[in-house]
Amino acid sequence: MGEEEQMKYAWRVVDLIIGGIFVYAGVSKVLDPAQFANDIDNYKTLPWFVSVRLAFYLPWLEIFCGLAVISRFFYRGGLSILTGLIAVFIGATVAAKMRGLDITCGCFGHASKNWNFSTHLVLDLAIFAAILALLFANSRHRVEL
Amino acid sequence: MKLRAVREGLILIALAFLPAIGEGIYFRDKVSWQSPIPASELVTVDQARAWSDGAIWVDARPDEEFARDHVPGAFSLNEDHWNELLAQFLPNLSRDKKVVVYCSAESCNAARDVAKRLRDEAQLKDVFVLQGGWEEWVKKSK
Repeated sequence: MGEEEQMKYAWRVVDLIIGGIFVYAGVSKVLDPAQFANDIDNYKTLPWFVSVRLAFYLPWLEIFCGLAVISRFFYRGGLSILTGLIAVFIGATVAAKMRGLDITCGCFGHASKNWNFSTHLVLDLAIFAAILALLFANSRHRVEL
Repeated sequence: MKLRAVREGLILIALAFLPAIGEGIYFRDKVSWQSPIPASELVTVDQARAWSDGAIWVDARPDEEFARDHVPGAFSLNEDHWNELLAQFLPNLSRDKKVVVYCSAESCNAARDVAKRLRDEAQLKDVFVLQGGWEEWVKKSK
C-alpha cells in the first residue's frame, strides 16, 4: 500500500471518528430535549423560547451532519456546518466561563454532566482541529475511498 | 467547491428541521415552551407560606450562602454535595408534604435542577420552585 493510499485510510478513520462523535452527541440529546434545553439555557445568552426550540433542532443537525461525514454524502456541507457549530460552542463555553457561570455543557447528554471546563475545552479544540484538518485535506486532494 | 459546500449545508440545515418538528410535536405536552419552569411547578412566597407546616423548604444554594442565612427550617440540598445532602434530607421527608425549592433569585437555575432531581431520583410528586427565590423571600419578609 502506497503512502498516499495509507493517508486516504487515515483520513477516512478520522471521518468516521468525527462523524461518529456527532451522531452520538446528537442521539444522546434527542432522547432528552428538556434537559438539553436546560443546558442551553444555563449559558444565559438566549431567551428560553429560543433555547427550547434549539434543543429540538440542533441534535438533529448534528446527526445529519455526522452521517454526512461518515457516508461522505454532502460531505463538505456537513463538515462546514460542524465547523461552525463547534466554533460557536467553544466561544459560548469560554464566554460562560469568563462570566463565572459554572455549567455543564450538555454536549453528550448525561455522559458529559460531570466533565469540568478543561475537559470540555480540550475535547472541543481537538474536534475543531480534526474538522479543520479534514476540510484542509479534502480541499487539497479529494479523499475518496 | 465553496458553492457546493454552501448548497449541501443548506440542504442539511433544511433536512434537520423535519425530524425536529416531528419530535417537537411528540414532546409538545412534555416540554414547557414559554418558561423553563411550567407555571404548575411554580409557587409564590405567599402561597408557600400559606402551606405553613404542610411544606418542606429546600435551599438549593451553595453551602456558604445557606450558612449565611436561609428560610427557617429549610434543608440544604445542592448539587455540589448531592448524595450526602440527599441522604440527610430524605429521612426528614414526609410524603404528604409539599416540597418548596429555592435558589438565589429569579435568574438562578439551581432550584429548577434540584426540583427535577427530587422528582426523578426521589420520586417526589409535589415539588415546587419558589418564584423569585431567596431574593423574593427576603423582600416579602421585610
